[in-house]
Parts: sequence; C-alpha cells; structure tokens
Amino acid sequence: MSDTMNIEDYLAQGGVLTAPGNAPARYRGELMRLMSSFVDSELAASAGFANSINFAPGIKERIAASRITLEKADHAERVLAVMETFGTDANRYQSQHDWAARVARDADLGAARQAGDMRLSVFHYPITGWTDAVVMNVLQGLATGVQMTELTRVSYGPLAEVFREIAPREARHAELGLEGLERIAASATGKAGVRDALAYWTPRVAATFGVAGSKRYDTLKKFGLRHVPNEDLLARWETRTAAHLAGIGL
Amino acid sequence: MARFHPLKVTEVRRETRDAVVITLVPRDEDKALFDFTQGQYLTFRRDFDGEELRRSYSICAGKDEDCLRVGIKRVEGGAFSTWANENLAPGDELDAMPPMGKFFTAIEPEAVKQYLGFAGGSGITPLLSIIKTVLVREPRSRFTLIYANRQINTIMFREELEDLKNSYLGRFSVIHVLEQEGQEIDLFTGRIDAEKMKALFGHWLDVKAVDTAFICGPEPMMLAIAASLREHGLADSQIKFELFASGQPGRAKAKAVSKADIAPGTGTQATVTLDGATRSFEMPRSGQSILDAALAASLDAPYSCKAGVCSTCRCKVLEGEVEMVINHALEDYEVRAGYVLSCQAMPLSDRVVVSYDE
Repeated sequence: MSDTMNIEDYLAQGGVLTAPGNAPARYRGELMRLMSSFVDSELAASAGFANSINFAPGIKERIAASRITLEKADHAERVLAVMETFGTDANRYQSQHDWAARVARDADLGAARQAGDMRLSVFHYPITGWTDAVVMNVLQGLATGVQMTELTRVSYGPLAEVFREIAPREARHAELGLEGLERIAASATGKAGVRDALAYWTPRVAATFGVAGSKRYDTLKKFGLRHVPNEDLLARWETRTAAHLAGIGL
Repeated sequence: MARFHPLKVTEVRRETRDAVVITLVPRDEDKALFDFTQGQYLTFRRDFDGEELRRSYSICAGKDEDCLRVGIKRVEGGAFSTWANENLAPGDELDAMPPMGKFFTAIEPEAVKQYLGFAGGSGITPLLSIIKTVLVREPRSRFTLIYANRQINTIMFREELEDLKNSYLGRFSVIHVLEQEGQEIDLFTGRIDAEKMKALFGHWLDVKAVDTAFICGPEPMMLAIAASLREHGLADSQIKFELFASGQPGRAKAKAVSKADIAPGTGTQATVTLDGATRSFEMPRSGQSILDAALAASLDAPYSCKAGVCSTCRCKVLEGEVEMVINHALEDYEVRAGYVLSCQAMPLSDRVVVSYDE
C-alpha cells in the first residue's frame, strides 16, 4: 500500500504523528505552544507548592505537599524532553523565568499570559496559607483531571504517551488535596476559611479553560490537538467540583 | 541535544528491485550511544548539491544481532533513497543521530503476551526489529504480523520472515495481504480497509486476546487499522504507531534569494503568511521582532518563550534578509534553509516575506 494522503487530512481524520519530522510547520508551532504551556504551568505549580510545604500543619500534609512539589517538576521535565526533540534548548528553557514569581493577590489577569511565560494565569497568583494551598490544589487538580482527558489523546503520539503516564499521578495530587480539604472542613472555622479560599480561586481556575467559541480551538481541533471545546470542559469541571464539595458539606 | 556521529557501512544488500538493506557500525567510542531499542529509527544527513537533507529510517535489526541495520526503499523522486539504493557501498561513512523513537513496548522476559503487527510496504522495518527481539527475549509471547504489499516481488524481508516462522513455529505467524495479486483466499487480496479488518477479526484473529498492536505504514492504512482496532475494543494505550510520512519532499526547496542591499528608508514592508492567509504591514527596521510585529498586526502567530530557546515561533524567510539576535533552538542546517526564530528576527531589508506554513 503506497497510497498516501495529505497530512492535514490525516490529522483531521484522527491520525497520529510519531516524530518531529512528520509535523507540518503550523502543527509544530501549536504543539510546541501546548507543551510550553504545560511545562511552564507545572514548573510554576511546583514552585508555588514548595512554599506551601512550610504551611503544612502536620507531617502527613508536609509529605503530601512535598510529593506534589516533586512530581509536578518531574512532569515538566518529561514534557520538556519531548520539546527537546523539536530543537528546544532544555537547559536554557527551564531557567527562562522565575517560576516562583507571583503577582499581587488582588491583581486581575483574566486568562492572559504574562510576557513569554506560558504558565496558565492561575499560577501567577500567590498562595497565602495552608487552607488556601489545599483549596487551590483541589480546584486546579480537578481542572487538570478534566484537561487530561484532552491531553492523553493529542495527535502527537510520543506526547500522548507521556500524558498517559502523568495522568494517574496528577489525579493522585487532586486526591491528596481532597483528603486534606476534608480534614480542614471538619471544623466550623475550617469550613469558613475554605469558603473564603473557594471564592478567591474558583473564578481564577475557571478562567484557565479559556473563552467559549475560541478560534484557536478550531485550529487545534483540525490538528487533532483538541477534541472537546473549552466551554464543555469548563462545564465538566464545574459539575465535578460541585459534586466533590457537596460530598464534604460545602 | 542529539548530535551526528559517523557510522561505517559494512554491507549493502539488495533486498528487492527497489530496496536495499544497509548494515552499519558505530565507532567504538559511540557504541553506547547507538545502543538502540527495538523499533527505533536513525536519522541520517547528507549534503546534496549544497543542501542538507535529513531522512529517518527504522532499524530493522533485532537487539541480538549486534549491529545496526536499516532498510531503504527507493521513493520516486526521493534524493536520499535513490542515492542510497544506487551509490552507497561498503566502506562509506554516513552521519547519523543516535536512535530515537517510542515505537516499542518494554520487553518483559516472563511475560505471556499476544502482539499484533500491521506493516505496509517498507513499514515492515521497525516491525521486523520488534518481532525478532520479542521472539528471542520474551520466549512465552506470540506475534502475528499482517503485512500489506502491492505484489509478491515488492515484499521486503519475505525470506527472513519465512525463516522466522519456521524457527518459531506456533509463536510467529505472517499473513500477507497483496493489493494487486490474487491469492487462494480472497480475504488476503486487496487493501486493508475497515471491511477487511472486520473479516480478519471475524475469522483469523482473536482481537480480545491482543495485548499490544503495532502499526507502521502510510497514512490511510494507519487510519483504517487504528479505527478498526478501537472499534474492536483496544484502548489508545494498546496501539503503537509509527508513521512513515509521505509528505517529506524529495529535495529541500530552493533557497530564498536574499536581497542584501538595504534601502535608505526607515521602515520595512513585511508580508507574513499564516494558516494559508497572507497579510502585509509596515514595521520598523529596528527595535521590533517579526513576531511582535505580526502579533501587533493581529496575526495569531505561534510563540512561547520569546527568548530564542523553544523554537515554537519558527518561520521561514522567503524573501529579504533578517538577523536573529539570539538562536538557541535552530540548527545550522535549518538556518541555512532559511528558517528563523521570529521572536528574535529583526528585518535588515526594506521588504521581508516570511511564512509560518513551511
């Protein structure tokens, strides 16, 4: 069978690419962008959580926060290794930005990226204490769980495989968060603190799903890099979050 | 970053009328670098009339053969494959990058697995490496290969596969599907499409028992097989792909002619093509990168680091001259071919034409 087809048609029909040499120019650009966003977000999340280790009230929580800090950095490294096969200078890349840098707590970034730093906007906001860290981790962890349903089937095979390895560990981070949240919400004062943090983080995490009717989504869908629109993913996250919070009386 | 290393050609064997099998050995000091995993590929480079071409070919040797071997089928109009088929001889040296690719599953000596492989034409090469390695190193696993070709005399490794079948009776089987030649069983004639897959699963293969499926071939075949495997219950994680993209041009396109003379004007007329649409705008000669100018003109150009390290914003200069402030991502051959990092590219000429689509 030497029959061939246009690579764009192949992608539009669900085809999988397997090497940098397969990737058309625009596909390459969008794929790199997607990977950058993930790497920067994981590095920023890890850096943010590093500070939260010292907010931890007990050893169990300290271990959970340490583990999240460690594994998010590891996930960034794995995806950066895929970027490297496209020519990215990994050593320089990881020192491009101050991953621990945060904006003021009351800044309003919307969904905007800051300069060349491709982290999701939510990772620019500072975490102020243990309850804040746990709530942020639960909300963002559930969001990552929803995003993973997209990332694990991107059309670039070597990247989809990395995401399939990462997905269960990211899911575990969200579980650790939920376990922590349950402990905090056991008391009335704890619950009040959780409510404040939820009010702060919910709109900021929601913004990371992007706008409804996004034009970029159409491009990404054509390339097999996305399958479900932003608004549907957001709705899925809202449903899941509501169910989990209701489960612990929130 | 991976670098090229010289490999010595020790044997060139004609496999079919238009395919050769090349055996290569690395220098002693590079041996560890070239310790491949079954199913991986090598990327070669060679200069053709001043233009560097890079081509990737899968390793067809098994892990226990103690050599590197690739099969190169001549592609109509393909500069590299034609050269390899007609000119390459023992004693020659070929520059190659260390093995790359993820077209494999980890070998587990104790495992009892059922593998299913689909190869189209020269897509057999990585599968042959996987098959030979699995048969030796996973002695309780079985492998079934469905191998599609035009006709009998274009089948690569036909004898070797036959020998493997005889050496590993009961563990390895091959089904040849020939597009243009009738066989005793109708099912094995024609192309592998959805219907044929259904029939194969109905009578010849127990898809429920399959642990991992490997597919390597041209695009339409990959689509048809993957769709059918999913329909029959295989998860994405059980399907391994290796695409032999047909889109690779035989020759690198002719280099854009640079207009070195800089007109005395202050601005540059920039023309940018993105997603098939072209737009022109005026931009300053200094202080603004082509990427920033394109973004300012409401073009949705791709970028991420804006620091010359990630290569997301790569574009090709078709006309005019630009200068990169920093380049940590593009290799020399890409720069020679006219690619620039648009986040670092400042125009030098009064007219610049770039494309993000090449």
